[in-house]
Amino acid sequence: MRVTVVRSGGFAGIERRAESDSASDPMLTRLVGRVDLKAIPPPGRIPDQFLYEIDIDGDRATVGEAQLHGPLRELVHHVLGRA
Amino acid sequence: MAGTPPAWQRCGMSCHIVPPHMLERLARDADDPALRDRARRTLALSSAQAIERRTAPAIAPSPSEDFVPHRTINDAEHRERLPGRTVRAEGAPATGDESVDQAYDWLGATFDFFEAAYRRDSIDGAGLPMVSTVHYGDGYGNAFWNGEQMVYGDGDGIVFTAFTGPLDVTGHELTHGITQYTANLEYYGQSGALNESVSDVFGSLIKQWHLGHTADRADWLIGEGLLAPGINGVALRSLKDPGTAYDDPALGKDPQPGHMDHYVETYRDNGGVHLNSGIPNRAFYLAATAIGGNAWEKAGRIWYDTLTGGALATDVDFAGFAAATVRSATRLYGTGSVETKAVSRAWTGVGVPMEANG
Repeated sequence: MRVTVVRSGGFAGIERRAESDSASDPMLTRLVGRVDLKAIPPPGRIPDQFLYEIDIDGDRATVGEAQLHGPLRELVHHVLGRA
Repeated sequence: MAGTPPAWQRCGMSCHIVPPHMLERLARDADDPALRDRARRTLALSSAQAIERRTAPAIAPSPSEDFVPHRTINDAEHRERLPGRTVRAEGAPATGDESVDQAYDWLGATFDFFEAAYRRDSIDGAGLPMVSTVHYGDGYGNAFWNGEQMVYGDGDGIVFTAFTGPLDVTGHELTHGITQYTANLEYYGQSGALNESVSDVFGSLIKQWHLGHTADRADWLIGEGLLAPGINGVALRSLKDPGTAYDDPALGKDPQPGHMDHYVETYRDNGGVHLNSGIPNRAFYLAATAIGGNAWEKAGRIWYDTLTGGALATDVDFAGFAAATVRSATRLYGTGSVETKAVSRAWTGVGVPMEANG
């Protein structure tokens, strides 16, 4: 299992990208298991907020930082570090 | 509230035929990616932004009336909760917290600029209270306008310093509020890049006004002082030379284009709103420096009238906005005037096509 997170937007508009593979990241599968990408609402158009694009083995969703809660937030921060 | 139709049925420029919950379902579940994308674009307004456009104050202020700001500064105490605890209200003395006091002062400077330059009374033109939250999050390297207020992080100290520092950051965020109450430019694609650009333009103009800089003396930078010591860059953006503000291993290189030849097609960042804003940013710089003098007086007036005049579609593209600025310049200074020609040439200079009679 491979997870890619791309953060875009923000005042600076500087993109951050990180990925993780369950082969070398034992926590990843458990974190992904608690996430349902289909349940993510579309990001609001909030000026200068961060947008997070999450790709789990080809399934992709984009979430705004205001909606980044719970297990999804844990997964995003795990993959992206503290970016 | 019985008898009042829901917001999505009330028709302004943001009237939707399809209710938001259906759009949200389409945006999430539709099999066709193009349909999903279209639905997402139509969901232009987050619930926080679902307010009606107001292109003129309800009551025209008298020419001599002195507008008074109503500022509230809140402290998020390093959590990501809004609005946070109120730590300084209008008229209260300085707190000694640098971020709190800077946010208060820069809100005042921004308010004074819009009053002095364009006779505008606050964000909505009708004295709207201004609310800022500082110390948001833990090392949070960002500032934003959430539809109701400004929010500032302290930065991580490694890449970014506190976002309350530069005056133009406050000017940028507060201008997002003005745009929301006026042209309400949809925050996606070219209209989104224009939304970003007018925030940069007025952010820079507020700084120029504050420092008393004419167009030829101004630095035309956004976010000077925001990069932490050791980061190779002068600011986050340059209206004069988009793409040259920074080049550093931690940040990469400033990716902004300054000409349509280098327009970035992307779905990220709401369709590259922070990238392609470099094109209209440079158009403003070209117009302002060709006209000369204080940039907020003529070029700024032309852009301000265009933004607040009520004639722009919310999804206007670069060419439509360019044509509107030429119409504003013509109305203010006449056909064939130095100012109108400067505006028209500025857009041609960044590769945005102008109508033959523009």
